[in-house]
Amino acid sequence: MTRHQIVIRWLAIALATTLGATTALYAAEQQQLVVYHWWTAGGERQAMQVIFDAFTKKNSTTKIVDNPVAGGGGITLKTVLLGLLAAKIPPDTFQSLSGAELKQYVDGNYVAPVDDVWTAQNLNANYPAVIGKMTTFSGKHYGIPMNAHRANWLFYNTKLFKDLKLAPPTTADELIAAAKRIKAEKPGVAPIAIGTREKWPAVFLFDVVLLSTGGPDVYEKFYTGQLDVATSPELRTALEKYKDLVPYLYEFHGAKTWSDIAGPMAEGKMGMMVIGDFAAGLLVQAGFKEGVDWDAVGFPQKPQEVFLMIVDTFVRPVGAKHPEATTAWLTNLTDPQVQGTFNIVKGSIAIHKAVPDSTYPDKLHRTASATFKSKRIVPSSIHGVLAPPAFLSDWQDILTRFLYSPDVKRALTEISDAMTLDKVTESGNWYWAK
Amino acid sequence: MTYTRTHVILFLGPLLLIVVLMYGMMAWTAAVAMDDWVGMAPVWKFAGWNNFHALLTGTLRQRFLTSLRNNLTWLGVFIVPTASLGLLLAYGLDLVGRAERVLRPLFLYPMALSFVVTGTVWAWMYDPDAGVFNDILRSIGLGRWAQPWIADPTLGTFCLIGAAVWQYTGFTMTLYLAAIRDIPREIFEAARVDGATDVNLFRYVVVPNVGHATMIVVAMLILVTLKVFDLVWVMTFGGPGNSTEVLSFFMFVATFRQQFVGIGAAISVVIMVLAIAVVVPYAWWSTRRLPT
Repeated sequence: MTRHQIVIRWLAIALATTLGATTALYAAEQQQLVVYHWWTAGGERQAMQVIFDAFTKKNSTTKIVDNPVAGGGGITLKTVLLGLLAAKIPPDTFQSLSGAELKQYVDGNYVAPVDDVWTAQNLNANYPAVIGKMTTFSGKHYGIPMNAHRANWLFYNTKLFKDLKLAPPTTADELIAAAKRIKAEKPGVAPIAIGTREKWPAVFLFDVVLLSTGGPDVYEKFYTGQLDVATSPELRTALEKYKDLVPYLYEFHGAKTWSDIAGPMAEGKMGMMVIGDFAAGLLVQAGFKEGVDWDAVGFPQKPQEVFLMIVDTFVRPVGAKHPEATTAWLTNLTDPQVQGTFNIVKGSIAIHKAVPDSTYPDKLHRTASATFKSKRIVPSSIHGVLAPPAFLSDWQDILTRFLYSPDVKRALTEISDAMTLDKVTESGNWYWAK
Repeated sequence: MTYTRTHVILFLGPLLLIVVLMYGMMAWTAAVAMDDWVGMAPVWKFAGWNNFHALLTGTLRQRFLTSLRNNLTWLGVFIVPTASLGLLLAYGLDLVGRAERVLRPLFLYPMALSFVVTGTVWAWMYDPDAGVFNDILRSIGLGRWAQPWIADPTLGTFCLIGAAVWQYTGFTMTLYLAAIRDIPREIFEAARVDGATDVNLFRYVVVPNVGHATMIVVAMLILVTLKVFDLVWVMTFGGPGNSTEVLSFFMFVATFRQQFVGIGAAISVVIMVLAIAVVVPYAWWSTRRLPT
């Protein structure tokens, strides 16, 4: 035998062993649960562990195969899933936002109904009705939600507001007036903290302005394509007020992310910030105290205060390899105990009515929980929950462009073009289905 | 040595696999570009040139042209500084003698960084408040020249290009260094005897003799400018608005975030056609100029 032949023989043996071993490993697989999710950031990872622990306690023979994919709102996970699902190798469960985002998987026939779990856990009674609506398509439930984030918070610097004897604004007009005061009396302070490098915080700010000028009905209609963009006075007013805010924004917002500017807001370099409740966790971690350095109020308070909601769900993929594990996983998510513990760590609130408001250690989340139970819940447009994700992407671009050159007329044309292109009316019909 | 059948399978097999995979995917993309696929699951509905038509007219036109313009800006602004800085550095290294061993890896390090790292670091440096560029300008009394950098729609693309130049200069330097080392030493020595200065040597010996390296460098850099994505994603996310978007970024957003898969595939085809249209004539032109 020549040396070449020996080398080749060994190569062949090595290859065969690898192949054989891989097959054997697959054959030996025990009961598993393959999970894909995007909770990878600091507190989120620990929050996920809470669910894992509770699940393992109840299903000790099932091994969790954890596949976290980083990227806020699941933008990277979605790309990964697109490949897995099209190749027909779905995980046993994966994370999705509810509403329009979830609808994409339903439309692709990638997820199966979860009505069995929904009924068994009596979620119609235990969850608010709007949650059911956000997961229902053609009469069937397709996702099991477990937490809600509130998007319409106005964070503000407590010392600054005390100094200027300012009351937290309750409407868009008051927001503009407060910004004006701050600018006049503290020229070194940027009245409104915003970071648009990731674009979407521009939508947070616009959403509260629209809620203030149009109220929740107009808001829901706008994002589901039921509003005549060209003629709607509420939308035009909202854009005009949004324009009025531009001179008071932190000057270099295009270079910063929301997490870059939350700290400066609490330090007093900036005044107010419209962002979701997840900012609270970041501020506390950075050592800023609620009620001392910063505070937050639901915004707007008029014409009516609403809970602008972002909901995470888990689904049952079609053709999942371990269906019992999937069912056990989804059932575990509806457990009030699990939801309570999870949400304390995650920085969102539980949606199960059995979880008391007093569960949460901070004022912000206790308030959120109480608002969730007493006020109207409106699905947020953020991350493609109400409007289709295609529109959200264009919408962020339109709004960030607007912040650089505020032209109401151009913006209205752009909105109406994007709504046609992204088929917002057509995709929004599910929301109005009886 | 004789080649056996085993050799053929062992070496041609992987090659074939790569070729089939690559051209297969290109054909697949071209097919999807002619297809009306919107949404997560494949939709096979022939659409002819509709996707391309949609890019050139109507709502997507502005965005497509912005991306295309930015790619062309990259093409025009990125290549010349990267190539010439690389050549200058390479000649410098050739001159410094033994110190080269220490300096060469130093200049090459940026190349070893991922674009995500480069992007993040440069985004910090460009930061209008706390970034090092504005800090320097302010500390030497030129505060009025401080810029918003990446937060400025017109400056954004140039800032991105700056980061890319920094990352790629080490790479072009290495290629040029190899080319300079290929030049017979006698030419340098003869020129020195005739009284040539370092600058003369550079002008009359180095530059005329590194043509083949230039060809490779420029062709590779052209491809870099056409496929640039990571820096845009990390540093500006295409913003402010759409002002720093490039074709590959537009393609990714359209395909994976908006799920206009047909449109996304059409943009990929445009990128490929552009690459061919720029690189092939360039390669043809430059090979003809090289001495055989």
